[in-house]
Amino acid sequence: MLEIKNLHATIAGKEILKGLNLTINEGEVHAIMGPNGAGKSTLSNVLTGHPAYTVTAGEVIFRGKNLLEMSPEERAREGVFLSFQYPVEIPGVSMVNFMRTAVNEKRQHEGKPALSATEFLKLMREKKSLVGMDNKLTKRSVNEGFSGGEKKRNEIFQMAMLEPCLSILDETDSGLDIDALRIVAEGVNALKTPHTASIVITHYQRLLDYIVPDFVHVLADGKIVRTGGKELALELEEKGYAFLNE
Amino acid sequence: MLNNSIQYTIPAGEKRELLLINEPSINYHIVQEEGSSLLVHVIALPNPKEQDYAQHTTITVEHNAANCRTEIYGLALLHGNQQHHLTTSVLHNVGEGYSSQLIKFVLDDASKASFKGELKILPDAQHVEAYQTNRNILLSRQADMVTEPQLEIYADDVKASHGATTGQLDESALFYMQQRCIGRESARKLLLCAFFDDVMRTLPDEQMQENLLDKINEYIG
Ligand SMILES: Nc1ncnc2c1ncn2[C@@H]1O[C@H](COP(=O)(O)OP(=O)(O)O)[C@@H](O)[C@H]1O
Ligand SMILES: [Mg+2]
Repeated sequence: MLEIKNLHATIAGKEILKGLNLTINEGEVHAIMGPNGAGKSTLSNVLTGHPAYTVTAGEVIFRGKNLLEMSPEERAREGVFLSFQYPVEIPGVSMVNFMRTAVNEKRQHEGKPALSATEFLKLMREKKSLVGMDNKLTKRSVNEGFSGGEKKRNEIFQMAMLEPCLSILDETDSGLDIDALRIVAEGVNALKTPHTASIVITHYQRLLDYIVPDFVHVLADGKIVRTGGKELALELEEKGYAFLNE
Repeated sequence: MLNNSIQYTIPAGEKRELLLINEPSINYHIVQEEGSSLLVHVIALPNPKEQDYAQHTTITVEHNAANCRTEIYGLALLHGNQQHHLTTSVLHNVGEGYSSQLIKFVLDDASKASFKGELKILPDAQHVEAYQTNRNILLSRQADMVTEPQLEIYADDVKASHGATTGQLDESALFYMQQRCIGRESARKLLLCAFFDDVMRTLPDEQMQENLLDKINEYIG
């Protein structure tokens, strides 16, 4: 599904990704761990086309297409979803209006007709209950006045609404208590199909108790420096990243 | 330029609304008597093709007795070389009054606009509440906005505030929306409609709100 080859990227002239390689197949869950500042969010931002980053070398093929040539909205419509580490507040834009525009622009891209108001509200209800999203939140402006945990849950709600092929969760667990974490993880698991894949960026083993990864990668200084199975996450939790300096 | 001038007095206890949409240049001087209220909207939503659109509106309001209320709302969306200049002058000559002003402009291309807002509270005009806010978004580097608030507050027991900001569309919000499949153009429309939302809500007629919203959506390129 996703093939990242020798990816180099800069922000403000500073090289952050320094030759990153990663291949992800359908049905797989990949965890990415690593110290602060390693480039994990940079990878999320480069994959989703954030304009502040420049790719200086390498390629990214997503379902047979050159991802790096697409605009951010095209990547999203092709099925790449990012659960933001820091979701953005958009005062004055209602959740309903935002979500309806998002869903219908994706449907248009897929050659499907727009949802009627009734169909859309039914979809909202269904997905809200899937991720345990409070009714009062979808009546507000996008993320405005949401707590940290509510923002993260809203990300998973949006993911449920858009049904992406590839979901990148950038520290979706940070700031969540254990109940919220479980609900978020259950939502992610419920959305998993043999044709979807996820990249789960996290600092903590505990999320990986709920979302069990097929592979765990360590990202350090802009590269994947180690790859293992789910036991690697346990080892990292115990020993930290000291081995990086050995 | 010789502008049209209109003067009137709002009698005690009465209400007036003044709605100016794409009006040619004009000066208003309105005097309020005791307990009267005034609601003003100055809206500039010219068709982007109307290249020579340039207008100056001046609104002067005087509170000549207690318990008067004045609300002034301004909204502009300009393109090309269009110009819109709004000057307000709210004079609290007498205490126990309320005034608020909320002015929001969006300027694209090489358009120009200004907001000059005089707010004066005379020494004996105690217990006045007076607010003035001006927010602007520039969609292009060539667009030019001038804001000149002028506050003269001579009474000591009043509540007054003013604020002015001019900025760009929030790039992080645009990216967030694009990441949610929303094209950049739709995202800009959503943000600009959100920006105008609080002014739009103050229009007394819902049908008019809808018509103007349609125009805003049509004119945002
Ligand atoms: N706007 C920016 N300008 C310069 N450097 C930046 C900017 N944003 C992030 N960085 C740097 O990029 C590096 C990687 O950051 P990030 O990808 O957020 O790391 P992680 O998510 O792994 O903690 C950090 O050293 C950070 O300081
Ligand atoms: Mg990060």
